[in-house]
Amino acid sequence: MQLTAPVVLGARTAPSRVVFGPHETNLARGRALSDKHVAYYAERSAGGCGVIVTETASVHESDWPYERAPLAGECAHGWSAIVAAGPSSLVLASLGHTGGQGSSAYSQRSLWAPSAVADAVSRELPQVMGPAEIGCVITGFAEAAVLAMAAGCAGVEIEAGDRSLLRQFLSGITNARDDGYGSDKALLLRQVLTAVRAAIGDGLLALRLSCDELAPWAGVTPEHAVALVPSLDVDLLTVVRAGPYAGSAYRPDAHIEEGFNLALCAQVKEATGAQVVLQGSVVTGAFAEQALATGGCDLVEMTRAQIADPALVRKLRNGEAPRPCVLCNQACRVRDARNPIVSCIGEPRSGYELTEPLVQQGISGRQVLVIGGGPAGLECARVLALSGADVTLREASPRLGGAVNDASLGTGRSRLRHLTDWLAAECLRLGVTIQVDSPVTPAQITSSPGAVVLATGSRPRADGVDARAALRGELPAGSVLVLDTVGGPVGVSVAEKLAAEGRDVRIVTQDPIVGTLLSLTGDLADCNTRLQRAGVQRELKSLLRSTSGGTALLEDVWTGTQRSVPAEVVVDCGHRLPSEDLYVTGMLRAGDCVAPRTILEAVLEGRRRAADV
Amino acid sequence: MSKYTHLLTPLRLGPLTVSNRVVFSAHLTNYAQGGMPTEQHAAYYAARAAGGAGLIITEEHSTHLTDWPYEKLIHGFDPKVIPGYRRITDAVHAHGVPILAQLNHNGGQASSMFSRLPVWAPSPIPDPLFREVPKALEHHEIRSVVDGYAQVAEHCLAGGFDGVELQCSHSSIVRGFLSPATNTRTDVYGGVLENRARLLLEIVAAVRAVLGPSKALGVRLCGDELIEGGTRIDEAVAVAQMCEATGQVDYINTSIGVATATLYMIEASMQVPPGYAMFIPSAIREAVSIPVVGVGRFKDPVQADRALQAGQADLIGVVRGQIADPDFVRKARSGSAQDIRTCLSCNQECVGRMGLNRWLGCIENPRTGREAVALPLPGRRSQRVLVVGGGPAGLQAAVTAAERGHSVTLLEKLDRLGGQVPVAASVPSRAEFLDITRNLVAAAHRVGVEVKLSHHVNAVDLLADAPDAVIVATGAVPHKPWWAGDLERVVDVRDVLEGHCSPQGRVLVVDELGFHQATSVAELLADRGCSVEVATPGMVVGQDLGITLDLETWNVKADAKGITQTTDVVPMGAVDGITVTLQHHPTGTDVVRTVDWVVCAVQQRADDALFHELADAPFRVERIGDCLAPRRAHAAVIEGHRAAVSL
Repeated sequence: MQLTAPVVLGARTAPSRVVFGPHETNLARGRALSDKHVAYYAERSAGGCGVIVTETASVHESDWPYERAPLAGECAHGWSAIVAAGPSSLVLASLGHTGGQGSSAYSQRSLWAPSAVADAVSRELPQVMGPAEIGCVITGFAEAAVLAMAAGCAGVEIEAGDRSLLRQFLSGITNARDDGYGSDKALLLRQVLTAVRAAIGDGLLALRLSCDELAPWAGVTPEHAVALVPSLDVDLLTVVRAGPYAGSAYRPDAHIEEGFNLALCAQVKEATGAQVVLQGSVVTGAFAEQALATGGCDLVEMTRAQIADPALVRKLRNGEAPRPCVLCNQACRVRDARNPIVSCIGEPRSGYELTEPLVQQGISGRQVLVIGGGPAGLECARVLALSGADVTLREASPRLGGAVNDASLGTGRSRLRHLTDWLAAECLRLGVTIQVDSPVTPAQITSSPGAVVLATGSRPRADGVDARAALRGELPAGSVLVLDTVGGPVGVSVAEKLAAEGRDVRIVTQDPIVGTLLSLTGDLADCNTRLQRAGVQRELKSLLRSTSGGTALLEDVWTGTQRSVPAEVVVDCGHRLPSEDLYVTGMLRAGDCVAPRTILEAVLEGRRRAADV
Repeated sequence: MSKYTHLLTPLRLGPLTVSNRVVFSAHLTNYAQGGMPTEQHAAYYAARAAGGAGLIITEEHSTHLTDWPYEKLIHGFDPKVIPGYRRITDAVHAHGVPILAQLNHNGGQASSMFSRLPVWAPSPIPDPLFREVPKALEHHEIRSVVDGYAQVAEHCLAGGFDGVELQCSHSSIVRGFLSPATNTRTDVYGGVLENRARLLLEIVAAVRAVLGPSKALGVRLCGDELIEGGTRIDEAVAVAQMCEATGQVDYINTSIGVATATLYMIEASMQVPPGYAMFIPSAIREAVSIPVVGVGRFKDPVQADRALQAGQADLIGVVRGQIADPDFVRKARSGSAQDIRTCLSCNQECVGRMGLNRWLGCIENPRTGREAVALPLPGRRSQRVLVVGGGPAGLQAAVTAAERGHSVTLLEKLDRLGGQVPVAASVPSRAEFLDITRNLVAAAHRVGVEVKLSHHVNAVDLLADAPDAVIVATGAVPHKPWWAGDLERVVDVRDVLEGHCSPQGRVLVVDELGFHQATSVAELLADRGCSVEVATPGMVVGQDLGITLDLETWNVKADAKGITQTTDVVPMGAVDGITVTLQHHPTGTDVVRTVDWVVCAVQQRADDALFHELADAPFRVERIGDCLAPRRAHAAVIEGHRAAVSL
């Protein structure tokens, strides 16, 4: 494979063409890279990653975009520890300044930006930068680069992508200056690159550049980018799309296809002499290899794929199947005020390398019966089999996968199946005895010779049509009211699927917008847009009070005002209840049968119960 | 001598005696780091003790590792907290004030995001905010919960606390068991009230066994959850009686609402009348003989004294009032209550920052949240400082500079002080916002700031005057959006509130700020008989009202006043008539509105001409507040303070 073969970058050689891109982790201690960062990156390096670009560090104290955002001045020790712990990979320090897209909440100081244009998300007006502030930023980049090189990094990557002051200067949306930085919008970027080049000697100079802000009326367009890149003195160029109105476009979830940036990347590659990195939802070795074969890129960034499986490159090299990233963004996208730790629904040890134990291989020889073939049961069986146990997995239904089978039928959710398919394949490979169509009775549990783990999933809270039945297509004819009291991905995907089938669909939520929990995945604004485009009527801040004769009575949550809407079928996408039929106090159990939650909790508990056996 | 005879009378609280009736009740601060209490905690509580609070109750301490609903929760179950506890109690005791620790397990009002463990609750009913199905507790887990409270009580004893309070009121596993809305169990912990209260009484017994007779034990109860099927006052009274009957509880604290459902009534903003929750302590006090604490937007000592006099409660919780002014009690006692920096109940930097996982601050008090960081000494003493502009930024700069020994003159071009604050506060429902500049103006006079009104300043005069420093706080001016052309009846919110125009008929309010500007002017114009629609490019009108807990009350009022709301639209142009074209950006479709007036709540432009004219001044020039970048009042206050401190 080209992908897993070494690649020469300047004076250095990376062990593979796979890049682990910069991303927020919330692993920092204060504003310094922590020992958790070191362990996190070390596992990806050990797994064969070619180039690790560390979490973007602010180059100047005027930038404090999120509470645990690294500050370059405090990162020297962390960078050198990361280099020491991952010597096989090339480590690049990502350096940035988020300008008007930052936050004043932590610094309690005004934001810096090229012009008095409020950020579209925060609506906060920044301070217009004068010569003194611009000088601070240029110096900040150069000084941070010196620190990174002294720490042993192979080079630095300059951030001009998703949240970036340098991109704000490049863009007509955010740069309305009447000085030289307005007439030449790339002036600051070139000044920064020049200063950094002078600071890093023979180090690698990489640039992450938004080549499409998706706002052609004034923003950076692919044509701008193609015209710009020949004048930029960089060794490595990562092509991204991002801008003030681009929302989730930089790292979208599975509603956007894998490798969506390939055409843009190829277009820019033709214009530059730098080696080019393809970024954007590349999660499979097959796609990455094919992208390299097209000549449209020289390296491939597979960040989320390596959050899902730190050993991605090694497994691809050995012909093994890595644990798939399903592009759900549920646990790895952590730009959230609560400061969640970066992790993965399929690999919950990610981000917790220092506290969650490694799965141990062994020869225990114990007999274990796992009841239930959803993600909790499959993960439990897989880990037990790895430990050498003699595992039997019994699934009552004809298929493995549990609730994921239905969830993956929702619009934009089909990739979820990849994870349970992988788990099932691993169980088979590791010799788990799998029995489907095999319900278990209490008596069989009592007489089971070995340990038993319950992973029997959930049941609906009420009678009627639930989300899973709707997803399976088991729905009477007529107009549909999707009752979504959760605000997660399920209700939205049900509404979208039914609308695509030509139904008259309404979605009811108690919230002022649909899908409030999707702020974490980045799909919040997008899902509301998709629903409106699909003609789904959003019944906001409303409670369902009753249904009769093809209509539903809705009530405004705040005013109590009631109204009737057509609803021949109501689909309940609300919370479910645990299936506890087989449970007896003291039994080991995992996942939804403890409390119906998400795949992350199912996998985490499946793994933990395996260790408890 | 003080006139607050009820407020300043000592009271026995079980084994404790408090010197007055003002309680700094428990509230989140987000000052913890890594689950541990910090220096900032100690300094924060010590400042309120030094200011004369009768009793301090710390923020909650988690009693169990299954309870971690937000990042900066104190892990009371970890014995490593004890040195931090000791630091807090020593700092508070140095001022002779007793301090209790609040113990809590948030139960189902949590997520597993931080704990990575199932959330525990009486029944598998998901919380309305966190929306995670909890695990229904088994009996051995209930015992573990009770043991957790006892263990943390031991830590509190070792850490020097004078007792503990059990939070059973608005976010608690005990509340979860007490409430019929969240407890559907069929065992001895569910059903009749005696069963639902069983967990509480087991915890009381376990904690008292640890505390012994010399420490205080309080129970905080919710008098009305304000949710369907939830606890109401009659059950709250009955539970208070059960607590008293144990003989182990020294006082009852009260609250209203559920933190994850009806928070806007727990930490009520200025939209809710003061003293709104006093029916709860009143009812409980009639039924029990142990002291009862009442809470709910107590802003000044008169109001608190009257509530005590009326027999509504034995003690009064004053939280935001002491966040804004730590010397609330001291000033009342010394006869200078008029100097109290009264809380606005704006909720911007206290409540608003809590929900966003940020450290607790105050819009008016730039030292709140920074008590542990000492201010530097002034550079050169007694500098002559000119402050240009008498809005909140200029006023705060002038006050702080004068307090630090400088000779300060404040120059204001209008015939009044306050900048945009009196304008914003001219809307009836926002009247209390005026307190921010009323307090600052009073402070400016008190500390000897020379104020010159109707005083126009130019750079030439300032350069000729050659002071030691000029602080420019010249504010912002409205800026007509590009799509409005030169239409006269497309105006700014300020034009309306300052009385430069008086829109009639059909009015479209364009909300690009997502805060009080649009909603305030919409209310005002609706009250004047206009037919009002508020349109925003955002997904919600007045989105940030959610942060200050004003969204619910705004929506209720808007509905009553016939105000309509349109989201996801961007103005694309306006022609005389007035016909406004709005693009619905999710679908790209245009909608057209024909109205009589358009009122814009849009970004202003910094009035920074004077600052730039002083670019080469031989003296120090600082720029603060809206003339740096037009933002909200807290930024003005912080920058005013910081500029003055930097002199």
